[in-house]
Amino acid sequence: MVNAHRKRPSLGQVQAAWVLMLPFLAVYGLFLVYPFFRGIWISLHDWNLLAVAFNPEAKEFVGVDNYVRVMWGRNIVWGPLASPVLQAAGIFGLGLAILLRRMNQVSRSTAIAIGLAALLLLVLPGFHPGEGGRWYDRRFWPTVGNTLVFVALTVPGVTITALILAAALARETRAMAVLRTLFFLSQVLSVTVVTLIWQIMFSPRQGLIANVTQLFGGTPINWLTDEQFAMAAIVIATIWWSLGIAMILFLAGLQDISKDLYEAAALDHATGARAFWHITLPNLQRTITLVIILQIILHFQVFGQSHLMTQGGPNDETQVLVRYIYQTAFRDSELGRASAMAVFLFVIMGAFSTLQFLAGREKD
Amino acid sequence: MALRGYAWLVVALSIPAFVWLVPTIWMVSLSFQPNEVLARTTSSTALGLVPVPFTAQNYADLFAFGQTPWWFMNSVIVALGMTLGVLAVSTTAGYALARLDFPYKGPIAVLCLIGLMVPEQAVFIPLYTMFADFGWHNSYHALILPRMAVPIGVFLMMQFFRAIPKDIEEAARLDGVGWLQIFWYVMLPLARPAMMTLAILTFLYAWNDYLWPLVSAQQREYFTITLGLASIQSNFAQSEGLGRVMASGVIASLPVVLLFLIFQRYVVQAMTAGGSKG
Repeated sequence: MVNAHRKRPSLGQVQAAWVLMLPFLAVYGLFLVYPFFRGIWISLHDWNLLAVAFNPEAKEFVGVDNYVRVMWGRNIVWGPLASPVLQAAGIFGLGLAILLRRMNQVSRSTAIAIGLAALLLLVLPGFHPGEGGRWYDRRFWPTVGNTLVFVALTVPGVTITALILAAALARETRAMAVLRTLFFLSQVLSVTVVTLIWQIMFSPRQGLIANVTQLFGGTPINWLTDEQFAMAAIVIATIWWSLGIAMILFLAGLQDISKDLYEAAALDHATGARAFWHITLPNLQRTITLVIILQIILHFQVFGQSHLMTQGGPNDETQVLVRYIYQTAFRDSELGRASAMAVFLFVIMGAFSTLQFLAGREKD
Repeated sequence: MALRGYAWLVVALSIPAFVWLVPTIWMVSLSFQPNEVLARTTSSTALGLVPVPFTAQNYADLFAFGQTPWWFMNSVIVALGMTLGVLAVSTTAGYALARLDFPYKGPIAVLCLIGLMVPEQAVFIPLYTMFADFGWHNSYHALILPRMAVPIGVFLMMQFFRAIPKDIEEAARLDGVGWLQIFWYVMLPLARPAMMTLAILTFLYAWNDYLWPLVSAQQREYFTITLGLASIQSNFAQSEGLGRVMASGVIASLPVVLLFLIFQRYVVQAMTAGGSKG
C-alpha cells in the first residue's frame, strides 16, 4: 500500500492548476459572477420580494421599465439653464481639466476624471420636468444629489486633512509613530461603533459637543435632526472614521520621494510650507489621484452613517443611494426597482474603478 | 534649533491627536459610569472624559443579561470562518495564477480582475434571493460564503507568489516533487507574511461588515456584534441605559483594536492593500 502510494504519478501541471483553481472558481462563479448577472435580470422584472417568495412565477418581465420608473419622468426636457449653478460649475470644471492638462499639471487620468465629472455636471442637471411633467420617482435624483454632496464634502475633507497630517508625521521617531497610531485608531472601528459614538456626541441633551457649547454659553445645536446640520454631522463622523487609510497611503507615497530633493530645496531656503508646496505636492500627484478616486468609490457607497445616525432624515436631507436601494428592496419589497438602482450604482462605481486601475498603472 | 522645531511639532500635533481620540475616550469613560448618573448628566467629571463616579456594573450586566456575549461569539465564529475560507481559496488560486500554466489562464485572470469592480452593494439583492431560495439565511455559512468570492485575496497572493524566485520551485521539480506538494510544503511556508496580511484584512472586514449581516441575519441569535450594536443603539437611553450600550460598543471594538495594536504593521499593510485595490 505504502509503495503504491509513493509510486502514484504526481499530477501534471494543468491538472494541478485546476485542482488549485477550482475552490475559488466555484465560490466566485456562484456568489459573485452569477449574482451579478442575476441582479441585472431581476432589474428587468416586476419582482415583489414577498410575492415571488411565495410563488416563484409571480414575477413579470418588463424590459427596461424599472430604469424608466426610477430615472425618468413624464414630460422630461433638457435645458441648459435648468440648474445654472451646477451647470456653470460643469463648464468651469471642463475648462479646468483641459487647462491643467495643457499645462501638464495633472496626469492624463486625473484630467479625464475631472473632465468626465464636469461633463456629467453639465449634462445631467439639465434634465427637468417640463410643463405639467414630473419625475416618476421623486426621491431618486435628490437621493443621488445627497450622495454626491456627501462625497463632495467628505473626500476633500479627508484628503486635505490626511495630506497635512501625513506630511507632518512622516518622521521615523517614537513620538511620531505614537501620533500616527492615535490618528489611525478610529479607522479599525466598525461603522456601528462609529455611529454609536457620534450619535451621542451630537446629542443636544447628552452630547459632548452640546456640553462644550454650553460651557461657553452657546445654545446646543440639534445636529442630527436639523436640516442645516444633519449632513455636516455625518460628514464629520465619516472624516473622523476614515482618515486613517488616506493618511497611511500618503505616508507610503512620501517615502518614495527622495530626501535629496528636500536637501536641495533647503539650500534654496525652501523648507516647511514652501517645501511642502514645491516638492511634496508635485511628487505626490499619483498618490493624491489614487486616494481621491479611492475615497470617491468608498464614500459613494455610504450606508451605515445615514441609516443609523439620521435614518435618512430630516426630510430626506441625508438619504443616500445605498440606503434608498436597501429600503426599496427590503421595506417596499420592490426588488426590480431596487436592482435597477443597484445597476446604476455599479455603472458609476465601475467607471471610477476603471480610472483607479488606469491611475494605478500610470507611471510618472 | 532643529530639535526645538521638532519638539514644537510634536506638541502642536499632540493637540489634534488628543481631539481625535476624545470620542473614543468618551465612549470608554461613559461605559464605566453608573446609568443613574448618566440619565442626569454625561459630564460629571472633566466633561465626562474621566469615569468618576466609577462603576464596572455595566460590564457585569452585559455578561449577566443581554445578548452581547452571544453576538460576540457569533462574530468570532463568522470572522474566523471567513478568514480560513478566504485564505484557503486565495492561496491556492493565487499560486495557480502566478506560477502554473493552464488553458484559459489569461481570460480567467481578467475575469477575476473585473470582479474587483463589483461592489457588495451591487450584488446583495440577488445574493439575498439566492440564499432565500436555498433556505440558507440565518446561518453562519450565509454570513461567511459571499466574502469568499471577492477576488482581492487572490490578487494579493498572486502578487506575492510572483515575487518569489523561481529557482526554489525548479530545484524541487528536478527532485521529482509534484506541484501540489511544492505548493503545500515549499510555497505556503514562504507565504506566511502575505497570508497574515490577508488574514487581518479579512478578519477586520468580517468583524465590521454591516450591510450583508443586516439583510441575511434576521433572527437575533445570528446577529454579529456589529449588527447587534446597531439594533440596540436606536433607543439606547430608554431600554438598556447609556452606560451599558457604551460597554457593548467597547466590547465590540476590543478585538479589532487589540489586533491593530499588536499587529500594527500588518494591519496597516492590509488596509493599504485592501484600500488601494478594492
